[in-house]
Parts: sequence; C-alpha cells; structure tokens
Amino acid sequence: MQDPEVLAKAIPGCERLEKTGDDEYRLKMKMVLASLSGAFEGKVRLAEPAPPSSFRMIVEGSGKIGFMKGDGVLTLAARDGGTEVTYDGDAQVGGTMAAVGNRLIDTTAKLLIKRFFDKLAEESA
Amino acid sequence: MITNPFDYAAPTSLSEALGLIADGAKPLAGGMSLIPMMKLRLASPEHLVDLGRLPELNYIRDEGGEIHIGASTTHYDIESSPLLRGKCPLLHETATCIGDIQVRNRGTIGGSIAHADPAADYPAALQALEAKIVLKSSSGERAVATAEFFLDTFTTALEPNEIVSEIIVPTEPGLTGTSYKKFYQPASGFAVVGVAARVRQEGGKFSLVRVGVTGYSGSSYRAVSVEEALLGKSANADSIKAAAAQVAEGRDANSDLHASAAYRGGLLVTYTIRALTSALERSS
Amino acid sequence: MATTVTKIDKLVGKRVRRKEDPRLITGTATYVDDIVIPAMNHAAVVRSPHGAAKIKSIDISKAAELSGVVAVFVGADVLGVGTVPCGADLPGLRRPVHHILAQDRVYFVGHPVAVVVASNRYIAADGADLVEVEYEPVQAVTDVEKALADGAPAVHPEWPDNKAFTFSQTGGEPDKAFAEADVVLKQRIISQRLVPNPMETRGVVAEWRQAERALTIYTSTQVPHLARTILAGMLGLEENRVRVVAPEVGGGFGCKLNIYAEEALMGFIAMKTGRPVKWIESRRENFLTTIHGRGHVDYYEIAAKRDGTILGLRLKIIQDLGAYHQLLTPAIPTLSVLMMPGLYNFRNIQAEIIGTFTNCVPTDAYRGAGRPEATYGIERMVDILAAELNIDPAELRLKNFVSKDQFPFPTATGLNYDSGDYHATLNKALTEIGYTDLRKKQTEARAQGKLMGIGISTYGEICAFGPSPATPAGGWESATVKVEPSGKVTVLTGSSPHGQGEETTYAQIAADELGVPLDDIVVLHGDTSIVQYGIGTFGSRNTAVGGSALYYALQDIKEKMKKFGATLLDCDEVEFENGKCRDTKSGKEVSVGEIAGASYRAMKLPPGTDPGLVATKFWEPPNFTYPFGAHIIVSEVDRETGHIEILRYVAVDDIGNILNPLLVDGQLHGGAAQGLGQALWEQAVYDDNGQLVTGEFMDYAMPRARSMPWIESSHTCTPSPVNPLGVKGVGEAGTIGSTPAMVNSVIDALSPLGIRHVDMPLTPEKIWKIVAEAGA
Repeated sequence: MQDPEVLAKAIPGCERLEKTGDDEYRLKMKMVLASLSGAFEGKVRLAEPAPPSSFRMIVEGSGKIGFMKGDGVLTLAARDGGTEVTYDGDAQVGGTMAAVGNRLIDTTAKLLIKRFFDKLAEESA
Repeated sequence: MITNPFDYAAPTSLSEALGLIADGAKPLAGGMSLIPMMKLRLASPEHLVDLGRLPELNYIRDEGGEIHIGASTTHYDIESSPLLRGKCPLLHETATCIGDIQVRNRGTIGGSIAHADPAADYPAALQALEAKIVLKSSSGERAVATAEFFLDTFTTALEPNEIVSEIIVPTEPGLTGTSYKKFYQPASGFAVVGVAARVRQEGGKFSLVRVGVTGYSGSSYRAVSVEEALLGKSANADSIKAAAAQVAEGRDANSDLHASAAYRGGLLVTYTIRALTSALERSS
Repeated sequence: MATTVTKIDKLVGKRVRRKEDPRLITGTATYVDDIVIPAMNHAAVVRSPHGAAKIKSIDISKAAELSGVVAVFVGADVLGVGTVPCGADLPGLRRPVHHILAQDRVYFVGHPVAVVVASNRYIAADGADLVEVEYEPVQAVTDVEKALADGAPAVHPEWPDNKAFTFSQTGGEPDKAFAEADVVLKQRIISQRLVPNPMETRGVVAEWRQAERALTIYTSTQVPHLARTILAGMLGLEENRVRVVAPEVGGGFGCKLNIYAEEALMGFIAMKTGRPVKWIESRRENFLTTIHGRGHVDYYEIAAKRDGTILGLRLKIIQDLGAYHQLLTPAIPTLSVLMMPGLYNFRNIQAEIIGTFTNCVPTDAYRGAGRPEATYGIERMVDILAAELNIDPAELRLKNFVSKDQFPFPTATGLNYDSGDYHATLNKALTEIGYTDLRKKQTEARAQGKLMGIGISTYGEICAFGPSPATPAGGWESATVKVEPSGKVTVLTGSSPHGQGEETTYAQIAADELGVPLDDIVVLHGDTSIVQYGIGTFGSRNTAVGGSALYYALQDIKEKMKKFGATLLDCDEVEFENGKCRDTKSGKEVSVGEIAGASYRAMKLPPGTDPGLVATKFWEPPNFTYPFGAHIIVSEVDRETGHIEILRYVAVDDIGNILNPLLVDGQLHGGAAQGLGQALWEQAVYDDNGQLVTGEFMDYAMPRARSMPWIESSHTCTPSPVNPLGVKGVGEAGTIGSTPAMVNSVIDALSPLGIRHVDMPLTPEKIWKIVAEAGA
C-alpha cells in the first residue's frame, strides 16, 4: 500500500497521484457512483505506520459537489493464507453532498472503501 | 437550482435510443431521481436520452403464468392495473408505497431498479417474487435473475450501454398470500426498512416462503435463512417469530440520522414478522 | 310615513370565503418571481461551504469571462453599503459587524461571499460555479453548550467566550419562595432549532432609475415600510425615493420579518450595473440562509408546596443566536422571559438569558417567537410537578390559574394580562374530551400493557404587538379609508398580510360599518408608494392593531358622511344605518354613493367641512393582547417501533371576538400542524463542522396532511378590552398550544416506565430506545 502506483490504481476514480512528501500525496480523482459524479482534488496521507500490520490513512478532497475527509486506521491480519483487512474510520462530508441525504453518506462511504480494498487486493495479487 | 448544460434527445424508436446510449448518452426515465441530482449538480451527464416516448417499453401483458412489464411503465400504472392487482398483488401493493402521487405519476419501474437505491421499495418485492430482469443494448438482450441484478449500493448488473427493458413477474396462484410492510422515513418517505413476504401453506404448514428486504443494508436481498427456517414448519405466529429473528443474516446495517443500526435491526425483525403475518392471513 | 328598512346581514362573525383565494388557487397571483422587467439580469450568490474559515483569496476571472456574465462582486466591492441591521437593544449587547458580503472570514455555511450577475439565471448559476474561493477552514462550533465551554473555538475572534449578551430579570422574592418550598424540581428542557420553510422562498427584484435617483425593490417581506426605511439607509438613498413592494408573499411565519443582506445587495447591483436584477432563493439556500427559529437550552426549576401551590420559577435560557444578529435575534428570548409564568398566578420568578454565538445561521422570529419555548417549559414543569406530587395535571392547573376576577392581571414579569377565564376554557376542554372516562380507559389500557397517554397544555400568549415604547420600531398600525366618487371603497392598510386573509376580514369590517357590499371594497397593502407608513405583519397583530386602526378610520368616515348626508337631505338630524343616511323626521334617505359623489362634486359643502371622503388613522394600542387556550391530546405509543399515534385532539382556544371563523380555523389548524412538527418531526441539525445535516426535505421532516389528526376545535370568548373589536390575535396561538400537549401526552404514555422527560423531536427511535431500555 505504500507503493504509489498501486495506491493510484486502487483509489476509485483516481486520475493522478503525485508524491509530495514522505507518505504524502496530492490526489486528483473523479468519483463516480451511479449518476453522482464529481471531480475532486486533495491529499492522501499515510500516518502512524506500523507496517505490515496497521497504519492510519487520511484522504481529503474538495470539488464542486462538496468536500470530504476520510480518516481511518487500517489493520491487516494474516488469516487462512490471506490477509484480513479491518478498517475503522470516520467520513466527514460537506457542501452539496452533505445536504442531500444523510443516509447516503454512510452507505456511499462504505461502498467506496470496499471498492478501494477490492481493487487493492486485485492489484497486489 | 440549475443543472449544468446538457443535450436532450427524445427518440421514438428503441433502437435509436439504444444507439445513443451506446455512444455514451445517459438514459432518462421518469427523472424522479436523476433530475434532482442534476439540479444540485451532483450529476452532470452531457447527453440525456429520454426513454419516455418509446411504446416498446410501456406495457403490462399477461403471458400466461407470467406478467411482462415494460421498463417505462409508471408506478401509477402498476398501482392501478387490474391485472396486477388480481394476479400479482405484491407488486401492486409495493407500488402504492412509493413516494407520493406526483412521483408515482412519473417514476418508472425500469428507472427505479436501474438506479438501485438501497432504500427503494421494488427491490424487496422483486426479490420475493424471484422476478427476471431483461436487459437490452444495441448489441443484444439478456435476462438476469433479481438476485444477480442488485449487486450493491447504486450498483446493478447493467453494463454501461444497457438499459432495463422488461421485468417479468410470476402470476400468483390464488392461494399465495403476499404483503409489503414498510417503515417510512418521515422526511423522504424512503424505506427505513421494507419487507416483502410471499407464502403458501398446505396442511397447516408453510409450503413456500420468500422474504425480500430493502432499506436495511447496502442493497436489497432475499432473507434465505428466514425462508429455510419456515419451510415445512407450522404456519403460525410462533414459527414466524422464531424465524424472523434471523432476518439480518449478519449483514451490515445502514445507519443515519433517522435510524441507527441497532434501531434498524429491531425494526427489521418487527416488520418481517408483520409482513409474514399479513401474508399468511391472506394465503388462506 | 312607513319606510321599509332593508336589513343587510352583518358579515363580521361569518365564515366569509376569502377574496384572496381565486387568484391564489388559479395561479394568477403575482409573486416576486413572476415580476419581469425589460433588460433584467439575474444574480446567483456564491456561498461558503464551511462553517468557519478565513478567506485567503477569491478569483473571479473565469466567472467574469463567461459569456453572458455582466458583473461579479465580492466583499471589497460592497464596503460602501450599510451593514445588516439589528433592531434589538439590550444592555451590553455585542454586535458583530455584518456586511452584506463576507469580508475576510466566513461564519456559517451559506454565508454569502460573492455574487455573479448574468443575463439569465442559467448563466448566473454556471458563473457562480466558476468563482474560485480559497478557504482556510478553522474549527467551528455549533452546539451552544460547547460554545460556552472553556477552550471552545471562538465564533468571533474578538469575543472568545462566545457570549453576545447576558440578561436577567427578577420578580417578587424568588429566593424566599425557593427556600420555603416543600419541593423543588429541576429539569433541562430543549426547544430545538427549526427551519421555518414558508412555501415561497425569499426573492428580490431591484430596479434603479438613475435620472430620478429612484430605487424600487420588490421583495418577499412581511414589513415593506420598515424595509424601505432601512434599505434606503443602507444604500445611502433618500427614503422618499425608495419604493418597496411586497408582491404576493407565499408565507413568512416570522422569517420574513427581517432585513436580509440579499435585499440590499440587489439594490446595490441595480445601482452599479444600471439594469434591473432578480435573485430567487433556492430551497437549499432557504434552509441554509433564511433565519431559523427557537434554539433554546433551558434550565428550569420550579418551587411548590406539597398541596400543589406553585410558589416560584427559575429559568436559565441558553439562546443559540447563530453567527450574527438579524433584525430581532437577541430580543426573541426576552419574550420567553415575559411569558414564563404562563396562566399561573405565582409571583416569584428569576430569569437569566445567555445569548450565545454559534457558527450557524442566525435565529430570529418564527411563529410564536419566544412564547412557544416559554409555554412548553412551564407546561412541562407543571406536568413534572403533578407527577411528583401525585396530583392530577388538570387539577394542578386549575388550582394555580389566575382567576377570572383578577383581570387585568399584573404578572410577575411586568405584563398586564388583558382578560381571561382560564378555568372555563380548561373545563370546557376536559368536558369535550370526556376526561374522567378517558383516565379510566387509560387505566384499563395500561393493564393490557398498552402505552396510552393524555397530555394537557394550557397556554397563554402575548401578541398584537404592541405599545410602541415596548416595540423596537413602533407598535401602532395605520389605515386609510377612501370612499371614491362612485361610492366604492378602497382601504389602504399598513398591515402586510402574506396568507392571513386581511383583504377579506378588513373588508368585512368596512362592509359592516359602512353598509356597503363586500364586493364594493378593495383592500390594498404592501406597496410603500400606495399605502401610508405602516409597521407590518407579525406577532399576530393584524386584526387587533391594523383592524382597530381601520375601525377608527371608518368612524371618521361615518361622521363626515353624516355631515354631507344632513346637507343633502337639508335637515339637522340624520341616522346612518345599512349604508344609508336617513332624515330621522322625514324618513328620506341618501346612499353612500350619493354622499360620496356630493363630497367630491362639492356643490354645497357642510359648514366647516372639506371636500372628499378620505380618512386616515394611526392607532397606538394601549396594551398587548393575551389569547389563551387548552389543548388536550390522546396518544398511543407502539412499543415495537416507537411510532406515536395521535388518537384524539381537542382544542379550546380563546381569542376574544371572532371576525371570520373560517380564517380562524385555518390559523389554528395550521398553527397546530407546525406545533406538532416541532414536537414529533422537525429539527435543524448542524454537525460539529457547521454542516447543516438536515439541509433538504429529504432529511428535514415536515408535517404532512396525512400525518395530521382531526382537530376537534371549539372556543370560549373573553373579548379583549384593549381594542374596539375585542379581538386577541390568533396567528401563533395554535402553534404555542399544540407542542406542549403533544409532548405531555407522550410522556404520560411512557410514565409507567418511570420516564420523567424526553426532549423533542420525539422521533420513533428515541421512544423505541426508551421502551427497550426500560425492559418493558
């Protein structure tokens, strides 16, 4: 996950990921979820690394449809010959996205996180 | 508010519409979900293809044992169809619970299921009915079972150039009892939980049980564990109560301002019991 | 000689259908968005998406280059325009400087930052999207108690304690009362922030005519004349060259009793660009930037004797003001203090208000404006006391009411209640609902495990603002009556109705006084070039104050008509009745039309009388009026889902004399709907970053027709001695009465589970959790 090329492929809709510092990247992405779509620019930061078992990932982005911040701790554990990924985090949303359906923020965040890890698993395989 | 600029086409033939979609245009059905998103600029398709003028997509037909419903059929038409009320009452009852009169006048079944809102009403009924969904594109046609159509939040089996063209539901033999019970979110009217039940009994025991759930988690599903727990058991309140306890099947519950995961779990069990109880009453 | 006198039926008191309705229900009324002026541009406002942030830079170049964009303005451009005013005057009030566009910081989500002017509204919206603002977010605070805690983020950097003002008031000897009490009960009670949501959002059209230095502003407002005075001042124009027009206004409920940044901004744009300009608020903007209502965290303490005699009440109000003061923001909670004793006769009160800044849109007047909060508080405390002392809640109220021979009643807070018979009204409600049988039914239901509740609310309210020394911009109202040469009548009222129906009620009053048909009377309002200065419509004051001004103007007209009548009939003594002036000796008559014609033709003027038939009256009310009532709600709670079912709703309201029962029903039903909305469904929720989470109808739950119970509505009538019509005002009464009845009902339903209080809104999940935790 500390490989920017893998990260870029895993982040849904990522168009460009540029390293700006140790474990810090500038992010340009287009998020598409059903009809909802919007371009975002922002940052990805990996913090408190204790590889290979856990670290914190903070994603911040803002665009016309609003802004969002995801902050969570990932824990990786070996299980049955594979890796079990647990993500415990928080998503904050603002702007137009925040106003249209509180109910969607939770489900949407879960979906995007799931997509990210599915893609990551695919890329690392 | 105001949408971003877009081009609009309203073809009168399905093949023309499918061609435009293959070129990248976004299909517009009733617009009840898409247009509000466009007005808030959360969705900005550059080309819209209006499917509303295609007679090939607007029909309700009795095909003996099955009822074929065109994707552009409005909720109002489904709600008021004597054919459906008599031969597929679950779909009729579900349609009456959608939105409000204005939404039902314009919203279509094809548009609704293609959108796959996790709290929409039809998916619960279609799961319980084991309906078939026919998908069409400019290069062909294929049919998909409901369980394989709804994949995740706002995510279906539709490929980018496909539209839903038809929904096929079974004609219910007279002894089948069905019911759709929904807890309304007080602001939007969406399903906080919605449970569709379909049962038959023989000799005082459940001979068919199908339970479709919507609103609870990221996508609709058939509560197979409840179905299996009831099949062959005595058709009474105790069996229902015992079986309903498993309805969540360990899935991740949605959580928002209007209902926490814990509350939603409690509601789901309650509404599963209520839907099964009502379906059972109607089956005798 | 015998004369047949045709008796015309009096219209006052009858269910007369509204003159307003045909145009409203056929869609032919003119709202501000219907106003189209040649060469008119459209404006779109760029707003802060952050609850609190510094503005680092604004780049308007892409927006300005968009074809069709005429101009783009930012904070620096509007420094010459006056700041948004606050008319409330409290000692020590800290007043943040409120420019019509943000300067170097933004203080709430929705705070206007820039405005794009374009040839149509679509390009204006596209242009607004192209304005690039660089923000540096800072920590916001949206919860009042968090805002007052040590180390809280400062909403305004110059006042880190986030306090805008403190206020206190004492009446009688509260310390003594509390010391002597047998029982003292405390409770924290919340009246949550609400979004008023009128059907029509705000909107402004501004037109500037350079050669005449004349500005016309069409705006969806409740106070056109006040708006004219204030906007003229803000824009540096002479007041008599500014015209404000309130076209058809689709509801206000207090949120349009205000002066908003956008009103001055559109005036500024029209003057700067030389073209008319229109701005129409989207629903989302309305949620974010039109004032919110309520916003209290209240700490109550009640002191009583064991026999149920209430001795005193203490109240600490933490008022959520929002980030700025709009027109009356700091004054609203002071109205809560005034009404804190409700209908009860105890003499000892102590009140404190802490006006607190938050990174939210300001609060201000919303249907009831301070009185619903006070009534809710005292009615909850009375129920809590009743439960503690094991006294029936109806009994406890009857025991403590002001009695009917104590009026005018001087309250512990310095008011004088005008008239009332609280015992009669509550007793009527108790009889209507069959209270004794109902309690028996409740005992049976409880034995079956059902959660059935009976909730009472006896409310009093202060309205018909009011004596001018006590009302910020003056509390009088004006009316002009013109009888035209043909005998038709035109009424010009300083009231500015926006749904209340005064075009009908005032016509009824005039028809009865002058004896002319209802259809012969036209009531005009809302245009400062047509109508003499008026204060406007709010605080349930139209009929009581505006109607009284009209009544007195009509008396002047009648006096003048009698003089002309006597001259026409060439006699000394005349009687005026049924639209005719009659010589008492000969029985000969002349009609209003003939008198009017003669007054303008002026062939023969009565001695000492000028030509014409016009009278204007500015009427100052000697007091507020005090409607009151009793609402009783029966409810049942579904244990499995927490859903609340309303089984019965009885309302007995005393609003003095009733001029049109049809309109009164409408006010009470609508008011009850909004009150139930607060009790059960509505809440404006901000997260810790200042995002309004309930920012659309998807999440903000309004009452629907299908969620309303049948309201069994009846009245008692104690006319008000304050005005000649004997009316008390009804616009807000229903809202004030319904909320406490609903909450008291649900808490009564839950009382077998040992529940003492639950805060609004009583959502199904809240109730479900309580039932589940009680293990019931």
